[in-house]
Amino acid sequence: MTAEIECEQNKRVSVSREGWTPKIVMFCCNWCSYAGADGAGVARLQQETNVRVIRVMCSSRVDAVHIYTAFLEGADGVLITGCHLGDCHYVNGNEKTLVKYKFIKSMLDEMGIEDERLQLQWISASEGQQYAAFVNEMTEKIRKLGPSPFRKPEVI
Amino acid sequence: MTKVKVGDRLIGWSTNEEVRSNGGSGGLVTAVFAAALEKGLVDNVVVLEKANQFEAVPIITDSVEDVFNSAGSMHMLISNQTKYLQQFKNEASIALAVKPCDMRGIREQQKRNTIDSDKIFTVGLNCGGTMAPFKIREVVESVYEVDPDQVKGEEIEKGKLIIETFDGEHHSHSIDDLEVDDHGRRENCRYCTVKIATNSDLACGNWGVIGELSGRGTYVEVMTEKGAEFLQNAIDMKFAEVVEAPEKGTEIRGKVNGVMLKMAANTHKEVFKPIEGDKLEDLRKELENCIHCGACKEVCPVCACGVDAKCNKYYDPTDDYDISLYHLIRFLHLSDSCIGCGQCTDVCPADIPLTRLYRRFANPVQEELDYMPGMDDRTPPFFLTKLEELE
Ligand SMILES: Cc1cc2nc3c(=O)[nH]c(=O)nc-3n(C[C@H](O)[C@H](O)[C@H](O)COP(=O)(O)OP(=O)(O)OC[C@H]3O[C@@H](n4cnc5c(N)ncnc54)[C@H](O)[C@@H]3O)c2cc1C
Ligand code: FES
Repeated sequence: MTAEIECEQNKRVSVSREGWTPKIVMFCCNWCSYAGADGAGVARLQQETNVRVIRVMCSSRVDAVHIYTAFLEGADGVLITGCHLGDCHYVNGNEKTLVKYKFIKSMLDEMGIEDERLQLQWISASEGQQYAAFVNEMTEKIRKLGPSPFRKPEVI
Repeated sequence: MTKVKVGDRLIGWSTNEEVRSNGGSGGLVTAVFAAALEKGLVDNVVVLEKANQFEAVPIITDSVEDVFNSAGSMHMLISNQTKYLQQFKNEASIALAVKPCDMRGIREQQKRNTIDSDKIFTVGLNCGGTMAPFKIREVVESVYEVDPDQVKGEEIEKGKLIIETFDGEHHSHSIDDLEVDDHGRRENCRYCTVKIATNSDLACGNWGVIGELSGRGTYVEVMTEKGAEFLQNAIDMKFAEVVEAPEKGTEIRGKVNGVMLKMAANTHKEVFKPIEGDKLEDLRKELENCIHCGACKEVCPVCACGVDAKCNKYYDPTDDYDISLYHLIRFLHLSDSCIGCGQCTDVCPADIPLTRLYRRFANPVQEELDYMPGMDDRTPPFFLTKLEELE
């Protein structure tokens, strides 16, 4: 398949779908989802290999700077994961993540970026299964969406 | 007359005939400032010192003389009272006249602890909009066919911009007509939704001044205890006189405001009509001439970050991103707090319509949260720790 993905009005973005695989940046909280990822690996659960995991001490450490930089550098999706509400290692870090997430979402929407490209999910240390499922599900969704409009043609 | 109290609606003027006739409408504001200085209620007053009919600079003074000389409204002056005030770091008590957007900036800075509300006294001037001085010079030349240097004064009356020249002639054009060619008020003023500075200590304006007082008095609504105290002081010191505002005047003031707000809503619809096509590409195009001088941040009345801010620190020109990280961060950080004052557009050397872009991101957020920065005492939503607090 060699369909060209083009912006509606101009031909700036023309990333060939051929050979394209989604690149996804995933932020994992040290205390939960990072261990969840470990669990998924130990249990030998099949997972897509498109995510690049970045460990952070708490989901609230993820700043808009990181998210925007990931997109501008060519990520097709950004996933943030953290402890379930009430379980944050730093009392209410993940509550703050939620507030931030809401604002960033609204902004991406205003820029015409599809909803699926930025997702937030709570995954605990024991939820290896959920971790693998989330990775697979998001990769599939982003694969369907195609390359991110932020992605430059030269980014591989 | 009984003592002035919060909620009073009065018509006032200066007892000094010269101030009264030079003032924007009756010189009450000048009288209140002068009386406050004289009595020692404040150490300083910020007034405008005119360079010419099109330009003036804010100066800080403790001389009653300077205050008297400053009477008059300048519709073509886009002062940035918030930023001007910030530089004094709360070291002295200061009184100043503000447009509604200036006051919104001040209130937001108070929330960010850079301006101490106990140290300032503000008189809000109703504002139907300001015009950029350079643009008006052009208009005076091309539309009014008058030499800009011959302009003695300017006045807005009944939707008309009247230019008075030194030879005593009056030249007038309807502002609506001027605005068709973008020759009138700044764009952000045309969709601004705060025309009466109810967020200040005293809200003053000429709307609602009728009959023989028309042009010789100012309608004042007392908003705070401090406002009542300062106005009472001016009356006690015989600097000002007031009468109860007639009901008819209050009605007219409300009506005119209503009409202005309706017009603003229409402009809003026009300016922010949904973008057809690729929104991201549209944004990229708008920003492509940005030279990252940082002037928009420098003048932003709600930004309290200083130089060590995320938007500056993480932006690197060698990244060569499609859209600058500097603006993306600022768009986000201002989405809850942008007051739409237009200062960023004014200073942009690359002529990027920044205010429009900031508002594009701020409108949906502020609407959804029913939060009006500078008019609302709540913590800026972005600073909240719990999502439920947003609702
Ligand atoms: C840009 C602008 C638009 C206005 N639009 C309306 C309107 O649509 N409807 C309405 O009812 N009233 C409006 N007013 C208010 C009105 O013109 C008078 O200023 C008000 O009634 C007070 O009159 P006064 O004689 O008591 O003030 P004065 O005694 O003349 O004192 C005015 C004070 O305001 C300061 N000042 C003047 N221009 C500015 C400026 N641009 N920025 C900051 N400070 C300034 C002066 O230095 C002085 O200290 C506007 C005022 C301004 C400045
Ligand atoms: S510690 Fe896991 S989200 Fe805060």
